[in-house]
Amino acid sequence: MTIHHHPPEELLVAFAAGLLDLGQHVAVATHLVGCPHCRAMVRTMEHVGGLVLADLPPTAMSVGALAAVEARLDGPGSSLAVPPRVGAGLADVPGLPPFVREYSAGPWRWIAPKVHLRAIQLPVASATRVFLLRSRPGTKMIEHTHTGFEMSCVLSGSFVHAGGHFGPGDFDFGDGTDDHEIMIDSAEDCICLVAMQGDLKLNGMIGRLLQPLIRM
Amino acid sequence: MVNETPNGATSDAARWAALIEAVATRGDRAAFAALFEHFAPRIKTFMRRSGASEQSADEFAQEALLAVWSKARLFDPGSVGAAAWIFTIARNLRIDVLRREKRGGRDHTVEIDPEFHVDEGPQPDAGLAASEVESRVRDALTHLSEDQLRVIELSFFDEKAHAEIAQTLQIPLGTVKSRLRLAMNRLRGQLGDFS
Repeated sequence: MTIHHHPPEELLVAFAAGLLDLGQHVAVATHLVGCPHCRAMVRTMEHVGGLVLADLPPTAMSVGALAAVEARLDGPGSSLAVPPRVGAGLADVPGLPPFVREYSAGPWRWIAPKVHLRAIQLPVASATRVFLLRSRPGTKMIEHTHTGFEMSCVLSGSFVHAGGHFGPGDFDFGDGTDDHEIMIDSAEDCICLVAMQGDLKLNGMIGRLLQPLIRM
Repeated sequence: MVNETPNGATSDAARWAALIEAVATRGDRAAFAALFEHFAPRIKTFMRRSGASEQSADEFAQEALLAVWSKARLFDPGSVGAAAWIFTIARNLRIDVLRREKRGGRDHTVEIDPEFHVDEGPQPDAGLAASEVESRVRDALTHLSEDQLRVIELSFFDEKAHAEIAQTLQIPLGTVKSRLRLAMNRLRGQLGDFS
């Protein structure tokens, strides 16, 4: 697979630094699965992160901190850990990072002619929602994001808009400033993983949620 | 050590790697205490600079070191340096932590701990020892300008990093982004065949 569209550098740096929210993190990680070039960049930044960390001046830990941690070493592990996930709802979706394949997912839902959506349930609430979007060949839509940025990573098929042609592995980063007319130009369905900022209060109201995203 | 640097960075890295391996193979508590003494106070600084409160940064550093203990067996000294490995553990733990704290709910019991393994297939730097990669990165960093270094370092600390960096350095936001891009390209250029 030849990848032509990569996340901007500042996004890779934010990924490596852990500053993206989980939804955004998933979108960038999905691109990384297929992109050795960006993986190398992220690994470089992780090394830089290690050096930055090692060179920081220390801040004294609270009294008894080490003893408190030592008392927990044989316990059930970090309280930050999530309970084991149930189901493997996305095991059948190629191109996802292994950790995402363990997340559960809803069913495919019709949201517009020739367009279906499958929500991915993140283990914790995130300001950015993540879903798969499947569009039939020849579908045209207007991408219009007024709520914030949006990231898409192509898993299969391809689409084209003013910013170029996007095939498997390509990463499309929209900051909400443009309206793009998108056209699915592959012979097979185009499936993308999309991470989109939005108002959490709309959660579950997928039809209304996507109205601003997709107009036919 | 071939890559011994004047400040002893490489020998530090080798010592930390040995400590992590002692934890992994023997559950060596003295080794763990040594890692804790060095890294917990720095992870705390890291979190303080990222905007966490004193107490929250302290708790976070404790959790991060606990994760170092429980994941020590996953440490592969051949593929990643000790400091970078500990950094990524802290990095994974802090995803969304700061954001959630700002929303008011400091619920430390349901935080995420995803394993962000995205590597499939051989690494582009496969065959290059982790210590060499680390010393190359360190070396490459010394070739950056003071401005570029500062932008990279500040980029690690806050989600609003770029706007804040612009404010701190009193330069326009666009300049921050272009400096970061330049620095990244220089880093990549310096690292050459590795990336």
